[in-house]
Amino acid sequence: MIKDAPAILENIASTFKGNKAQKSALDMLNEVGLPHRKSEAYKFTPITSLLEKNIDFQSIVADVFDADKLYDEAGSHLVFINGELDIEKSTIADALKFEVAEVSEGKHDPFSLLNAAYAKEEIRIESGYEEPVFVYHFNSNGFTNPRIKVNVKDGHTFRIIEKLITPEEQKTFTNSYIDFNVGKNAFGYHTKVQNYNAETFSHETVVAHVSRDGQFYNNTFSFEGAMVRNNLTINLEDENTEGHMYGLFLLDKKSHVDNNTSVDHTKPNSFSNELYKGILDEKSTGVFNGKIYVRQDAQKTNAFQSNNNILLSEDATLHTKPQLEIWADDVKCSHGCTSGQLDEDAIFYLRARGIKEKNAKAMILKAFAIETMQHIKVESVKEEVQQLVDLKLG
Amino acid sequence: MISIKNLHASIEDKEILKGIDLEVKAGEVHAIMGPNGSGKSTLASVLAGREDYEITEGSVTFENEDLLELSPEERAQKGIFLAFQYPVEIPGVSTTNFLKTAINQVREARGQKALDAVHFLKLMKEKMKLVDIDQALLSRSLNEGFSGGEKKRNEIFQMAMLEPKLAVLDETDSGLDIDALKIVADGVNTLKTKDTATIVVTHYQRLLEYIVPDYVHVLYQGRIVKSGDKSLAFELEEKGYDWIKEEVAAI
Ligand SMILES: Nc1ncnc2c1ncn2[C@@H]1O[C@H](COP(=O)(O)OP(=O)(O)OP(=O)(O)O)[C@@H](O)[C@H]1O
Ligand SMILES: [Mg+2]
Repeated sequence: MIKDAPAILENIASTFKGNKAQKSALDMLNEVGLPHRKSEAYKFTPITSLLEKNIDFQSIVADVFDADKLYDEAGSHLVFINGELDIEKSTIADALKFEVAEVSEGKHDPFSLLNAAYAKEEIRIESGYEEPVFVYHFNSNGFTNPRIKVNVKDGHTFRIIEKLITPEEQKTFTNSYIDFNVGKNAFGYHTKVQNYNAETFSHETVVAHVSRDGQFYNNTFSFEGAMVRNNLTINLEDENTEGHMYGLFLLDKKSHVDNNTSVDHTKPNSFSNELYKGILDEKSTGVFNGKIYVRQDAQKTNAFQSNNNILLSEDATLHTKPQLEIWADDVKCSHGCTSGQLDEDAIFYLRARGIKEKNAKAMILKAFAIETMQHIKVESVKEEVQQLVDLKLG
Repeated sequence: MISIKNLHASIEDKEILKGIDLEVKAGEVHAIMGPNGSGKSTLASVLAGREDYEITEGSVTFENEDLLELSPEERAQKGIFLAFQYPVEIPGVSTTNFLKTAINQVREARGQKALDAVHFLKLMKEKMKLVDIDQALLSRSLNEGFSGGEKKRNEIFQMAMLEPKLAVLDETDSGLDIDALKIVADGVNTLKTKDTATIVVTHYQRLLEYIVPDYVHVLYQGRIVKSGDKSLAFELEEKGYDWIKEEVAAI
């Protein structure tokens, strides 16, 4: 029984080629349906109707691989073309353990199920290799479902940098899924730079399961996209764990970016820190929704969240919503959202010192944004984000 | 140097300055005193180019140029400096960091070559000594968590760096302890030349013992209602403003 948006699911049904696990994901998906107009979780991103209106799910287009888009860094570079790992275009260190596998399971929400059902393969990467792993998705087809599972083994540190590249003249929908299993006393890092274009639609799911004494960091930098939905979920599954979420959405034109994050504290002594900043210009839309769950067992939890925004245009739209659900009693939680215009007094102050208005504004905005960039550890990614910020802010 | 004639300024349709006349020549120090809310900071802001105020009448000429036509940054580039009564906090922007941009944009406008890092640091060191300010303070977010005195000292440090022709100091003495007051005043005096001028807005005669004014003006209800020499400041210190208010009421 399909509850809503049967059009999309019916339309792609004929392309289904999945295994048994994928079939059961598909059945489950048909059961839950895609989000409809009144779905609370997609209140500000009417994703199903946007996809219906814009995406030709069956279109197959020549690939858009461009070696210039790869970071100039040591480490392994995994190139995916329309959802499939291209070994020849990739640079894979001998020491990196990876496996091209079939989809083994599909869980939870509609888009994870959709990904599980239609993913062409599932890439499994395992730590044990020091350098960062860069993952690129060159997607030109109408509908692509990249699927990656990362295992950060006990005591290891592992960094993944992920990037989606789509053609300028082609409407695409990427429905990606990446899952981190962070072992005991292990550190997992995941960074994304979302500098897409006006034809890019994406739904990007990131899930992390963190074991005892482990930590997970996510950095998400969004600059452009027709519709970008980030679903970030960190499950702190044991004691003394940490979850870190840092994000910047610096948007203009008609870009639409929706950050939906959630951290779940289940055991005592865990810590989470979340900082998202938004700068919205022209007709852009930014959404931030941050959920913090503190379960009954999770005494001595420390959870911090803040989302600060600057609106540069009257036509820009912002929706921000913190959501705290706390069942334990001995916890420290704080959250705060602010949004406002650029501080006129600050601009005047700098101008009164001889700085041109344009530069004064840029200076203030860059200073505002920079806090979200402190956790990028890979030099050329840091440079890229810095350059994009400079470019956008002039 | 600057000539203010019949200047009227309003904000949100409320007239604050109601006909100011003031002439300041190179080498002079003018003090402006007056009760709270009389329009002193408004005058200072208008001179610096704050766009919230609407100039409804009058003119301001600075070195033979129509000042009111210029943007705040152009005024700064031409040599006007305002030390703010309430310096703004700017998170993430340090004094060092914005002053480098400021100095180089000012130099560019004056047709001078940009200062490189080495010369900029040298200039900083020299001026830091002048107002006895710490490097650490200059590297912190501008005015964030600065004490009242630190903010004011930082204003004068910036003035020293930018070497303006006309400095407008809006209550730079408030919040300073007696030692800091001397240091700041000494700094201002050191920067004074026969080619520069200073307008000092203050409530206290004490500052004027260190920065000795050639003229003292009383601003009241948006007008300069009395002018004199430095003895006027003593008189005000002793008698307060009531006698001036009465004089104004009598007219
Ligand atoms: N944005 C504004 N909107 C309305 N009134 C304003 C605004 N800014 C200033 N004023 C008013 O203008 C008048 C003059 O203010 P101003 O700050 O110039 O006084 P001042 O002489 O500097 O006082 P003080 O000695 O307290 O610093 C005050 O009555 C003030 O309330
Ligand atoms: Mg004032």
